[in-house]
Amino acid sequence: MRIRASIAAVVIALAAVVGTVVMGGAQDKTLSIGVLGPLSGGAASYGVELVRGAEMKADEINKAGGLKVGADTYRIKLVSYDHKALAADAATAANKLVFQDKVKYIIGNAVGATCNAVQTVTEPEKVLFSFVCWGTNNLGPDKPHSFRVMLSQWEVAEPFYRWVKEKHPQIKRVAAISPNDTSGKDTNTAVVKALKALGFEVAADEYYERGTKDFYPILTKILAAKPDMLDVAAAPAGEGGLILKQARELGFKGAKGWTAGTNPFTIIGVAGKDAAEGVWSPANINVRSDFVSATVRRFGAEYEKRYNEVPGVIAVANYAAFDVITKAMQEARSLDTDKVLAALTQKPFETVWGRLVIGGKETYGIDRQFLYPVVISEVRDGKVVDIAQVLPTALKK
Amino acid sequence: MSIDLLVQALLNGFGLAMVYVLVALGLTLIFSILEIINFAHGEFYMLGGYVTYYVFAVFGLNYFATLGFAILAVGLAGVVAERLIFRYLRGKTLNAFIVSLGLLWVMQASAQLSFGVLDKPVPSAFSGIVRAFGLVISVERLVVSLSAIVLIAALYLFLRWSRPGRAMRAVAQDADAAALQGVDIELVSALGFGIGCALAGGAGGLLAPVFAVSPAMGALPVVKAFIIIIIGGMGSLPGAVVGGLLLGSVEGLGSLFMGSAAVSVLGFLVVILALLVRPRGLFGGA
Repeated sequence: MRIRASIAAVVIALAAVVGTVVMGGAQDKTLSIGVLGPLSGGAASYGVELVRGAEMKADEINKAGGLKVGADTYRIKLVSYDHKALAADAATAANKLVFQDKVKYIIGNAVGATCNAVQTVTEPEKVLFSFVCWGTNNLGPDKPHSFRVMLSQWEVAEPFYRWVKEKHPQIKRVAAISPNDTSGKDTNTAVVKALKALGFEVAADEYYERGTKDFYPILTKILAAKPDMLDVAAAPAGEGGLILKQARELGFKGAKGWTAGTNPFTIIGVAGKDAAEGVWSPANINVRSDFVSATVRRFGAEYEKRYNEVPGVIAVANYAAFDVITKAMQEARSLDTDKVLAALTQKPFETVWGRLVIGGKETYGIDRQFLYPVVISEVRDGKVVDIAQVLPTALKK
Repeated sequence: MSIDLLVQALLNGFGLAMVYVLVALGLTLIFSILEIINFAHGEFYMLGGYVTYYVFAVFGLNYFATLGFAILAVGLAGVVAERLIFRYLRGKTLNAFIVSLGLLWVMQASAQLSFGVLDKPVPSAFSGIVRAFGLVISVERLVVSLSAIVLIAALYLFLRWSRPGRAMRAVAQDADAAALQGVDIELVSALGFGIGCALAGGAGGLLAPVFAVSPAMGALPVVKAFIIIIIGGMGSLPGAVVGGLLLGSVEGLGSLFMGSAAVSVLGFLVVILALLVRPRGLFGGA
């Protein structure tokens, strides 16, 4: 009897050990996901938010026991590289991710020219690539594995300036200034197109080199054209803030916009409360506002607690992208990017933006653009206040 | 194009030129004494910016006291760098070039790890603008430019009249002859490197409230400093001042007529011209 009991105990112990090993083996599977972005330099705020948004979703999944795809469970491992907003560095980083780290998913990148560089690697290798880049040709029928998960200038500029015309009819002449690269050129092009279509005068359509700190020379030229409104269109917070600060020093008192204004909290910090007063940001998300869902407010609160900063739209967009793509993996019951792509485009998912709408065929020739309403916010006394919600044309349709 | 606009453009160009002259003077002082080109000079400028951020913006010390503190702290950091690294590389230009590049990356990466990668805004110490004859200049920039001029004048007086200043000039002219006259070369090297870095730190402190601080903030001023030195002549204080004003006016006026990409290469075009016409710079010696 004692021998039987001992054998039973040994069998149970062995079973427990074997079971643990099997379960452990299943949990030990790792899914590496790449995140790219400028993590240093003037556009670093973009990259930092991308990584943090991804980190929050990845940690959420890992804490819940991992990502169950078919019969397997994966721990998410993020692999991130800094490309300093430089196309050449972005291509190098993409090569590392795809051929060295063997990732099949890159969830996150910013700055248009770097996206083009990354796509030369991801598209031939069928790597699913989602980003917040503001380049027009970042999406197209020749780039089926690429998604933009945040509204771009082509969705934002027209409804924003339609709102300006309606609510502030005294504004007639608008000057736009952007970085001298793909994101900047495409943004100013979209802004100028919207301005002309809506009957505004384009007072200036100017570009500066990324990394510029002294904007006095270029602002002197712009302000000589006497604009009623200055749009720091595609400038990141670090540079946009300096432009606003220096424009004020040079005596500019007109209206201010930030078409690519992803996080007005950051521009207040750089420009100062007075220079940032009144800035309109149509690409922003205010995580403390009643305009956003409870999920976004909760995300915002957790983000602030963890990083001691208020998240902008890029952090929210990348969190949402991570959420949707991992859900699509589960739906496809596979990590094969073609199967995940099919799941992603065929089935509606619930996201922090509400029910996901992927559109953009009329602009880009393919439906790969996440669509959601535009919320226009204004800086008032150092605070960000949401003042209007408008719909991108593609979403109206 | 109105005269007002042209004068305003010139004023813009001159506005911060004196601060870049400070950076250039530090670089040229170090070269004169140690015969090395310190590519990490911009990182000492960055250190000055961060000292200003923490002492002025975070702890709320008076701005000018902060500036003095930044100059001292970065000067001390320069002395440490000279004692630990550059004293062994005196006269070895190529070795020093490689080592200073390495130091640049180490300091920049350390700053990223320690201070974060995002720009840190420093509140303006002086607000308001001055309007006169149709021209506009911010009080902040006026104070910054005047402070830079005071520092340049102080450096001139120190080098001209003080005993250590004369020793530095002697070493710059002929280190062996200076040593025979009893000048302590080790001490002068450390002092020269320290003062050179202190000037960069002062410039960083002056521009911190104007531009915000970040780990990569040293790249642009050091490029401008090299342009200024090449135009003005290595080792020449008046040359650096004239070079700075020339660069400021070319960039200021250029921005009225051409795009930013073209303006950013204007300085290099002036350098090419200077090297073709007067290879030792406007005030460079034989």
